[in-house]
Amino acid sequence: MKYPVEIKHLHKTYQRRGAWLLGKTEEKIVLQNVTLRIGAQEIVGLVGESGCGKTTLAKVLLGLESYQSGSVQVNGLELKELSKAGFKKLRRQVQVVFQDPYSSLDPRQTMRQILCEPWDIHGLHKDKEQREKALHSLVRAVGLDPAHLDRWPHEFSGGQRQRIAIARALALEPQLLVADEPVSALDVSVQAQILNLLKDISRSRALGMLFISHDFAVARFLCDRIAVMYQGRILECAPTEQLLCNPQHPYTEALLAAVPVPDPVLQKSREPVSLKIETNRSSCPCPYAPRCRYYEAAQCARPLPQQTEGDSRFCACVRLPFQKEKSRYAV
Amino acid sequence: MTKRIFKRICQNKASLVGFVLVALFALVALFAPVLAPVQNAHNPYQLPQSSYNVTPQPPSAEHIFGTTEQQYDLYYGVVWGTRLAFKIGITVTFFAFLIGLFLGSAAAYFGGVVDEVIMRFTDVVFAVPSLVLAMVIAAMLGPDIRNMMIALTAVAWPSYARLVRGDVLSVKQRDFVTASRALGARGPRLLLKHILPNAIYPSVVVASLDIGYIVLTAASLSFLGLGAQPGTADWGQLIAMARNWVLGSGGNTFAYWYTVVIPGGVIFLFVLGWNLLGDGFRDILDPRQG
Repeated sequence: MKYPVEIKHLHKTYQRRGAWLLGKTEEKIVLQNVTLRIGAQEIVGLVGESGCGKTTLAKVLLGLESYQSGSVQVNGLELKELSKAGFKKLRRQVQVVFQDPYSSLDPRQTMRQILCEPWDIHGLHKDKEQREKALHSLVRAVGLDPAHLDRWPHEFSGGQRQRIAIARALALEPQLLVADEPVSALDVSVQAQILNLLKDISRSRALGMLFISHDFAVARFLCDRIAVMYQGRILECAPTEQLLCNPQHPYTEALLAAVPVPDPVLQKSREPVSLKIETNRSSCPCPYAPRCRYYEAAQCARPLPQQTEGDSRFCACVRLPFQKEKSRYAV
Repeated sequence: MTKRIFKRICQNKASLVGFVLVALFALVALFAPVLAPVQNAHNPYQLPQSSYNVTPQPPSAEHIFGTTEQQYDLYYGVVWGTRLAFKIGITVTFFAFLIGLFLGSAAAYFGGVVDEVIMRFTDVVFAVPSLVLAMVIAAMLGPDIRNMMIALTAVAWPSYARLVRGDVLSVKQRDFVTASRALGARGPRLLLKHILPNAIYPSVVVASLDIGYIVLTAASLSFLGLGAQPGTADWGQLIAMARNWVLGSGGNTFAYWYTVVIPGGVIFLFVLGWNLLGDGFRDILDPRQG
């Protein structure tokens, strides 16, 4: 089967230049051996702590950041090898919604200007009447009122602004939407509305999605599959319900255990997650070893399992099958 | 926006005073031909001269501000000097702003070597005292109002370049620029449509503060004989012509006070007005003050 998005063994490092002329450049690995597929109309969640490389992966997929090795293919085309024209074509296939709707809309453009920009850039809907019609249907599709087209971003609420950002991403009718924590900056009632909107749109427009989040409840609602990322690596990837009800990797388990349960008695009885870091384990191939509560020196020194094609489940832990009592979690 | 700015100006007494002063000067500049009818049709900035008597004459019915050395009319000098001051201040600030905007945004946008070269050059210009540098440039080009404006522009742009660079760097990081890039927008569109419109406001405030300062520097250059030619209705020139009369004549120190106090006072009020108004702008555009 051909996947619209195929990321294989992706490596990316950021280089920090030392002092001017003097000093050596430092390398920081941000993505390491990332393999991820997104099927047609599939919503894949990407979950992890802040700074683990989620947003960088999104930027690589958008073609906004380069990568050192590995391959990133969208519809069979390798992003690294795209020409300028090919890159522009990619924009019509992959679009993005950012986290903060207060900084993702230009404060000096009206909603009309914001939504027309993609068409201006790609020379679409040049006919005035046709553009007006397309604009109205776009605005209605995200649940906004076309009468507000000439308002400025500061006149809208956070939720409405995020709807504008979604409309802008949909203007080019992409097949894949990269949603970088699109609801994290919104309050809970608005989060639900935006999530419903994203779900509806993904169905009605046959949209695949890379949904980045740090909230399992949100990811559970929307995603078909969830990948868990830690320090630039994907540690576990599984269909949503399997991952949440039966986490295989100790890190996934720890993340799930960190989600509070809305029951004070149950919450008190749960064991708190240890944040202690054992530095003497840093030579271990597993990036999570320094924090792992199941660490065993002999076993964890083995190389990590590699992701193979066609697996529905993947877990980067050498201690598989990872045995423990099945527990119920809040999400 | 304009209404809000005006309301805020009126709330603050200092900025209101600044606004009134600048508005008065603007009216004088606008109606200069009415207030002081042109004497020399070829060059309205030519001061009328009633005789070649060296000694200044005190205010009288004919010359309400008196006359300075060689009987140049002070009133005419003040009125047309206002127009010249606006011309110099606004032209120089405009071009300095433009150069700074271009260099600063190029440095910030391209980064790397371009940034390094432009900003180190800016640092070099900054390191030389601006009045001295302006004097050198004006002296090389020859004494003339146009050359003086070139010299002033050459020393005024670095502050804009620095300011614009900083603001472009910060706006460049914002999500709406990345979003626009993700839509397929490239360099010129990003810079002109998204980055610059969001980055020039602080520079506009500095420009309003700068107009007064530019006029002051222009007056210094004219005083030193590097700007307007003798006989030009220029405030600095009026003060230059008063140089020999500052100390008065034997026994009476203040005998020729009007030759210094009138042009000096006008410059003082003009610069004060712009400074107060600029401070007002700065307060208004400061987001912390709602």
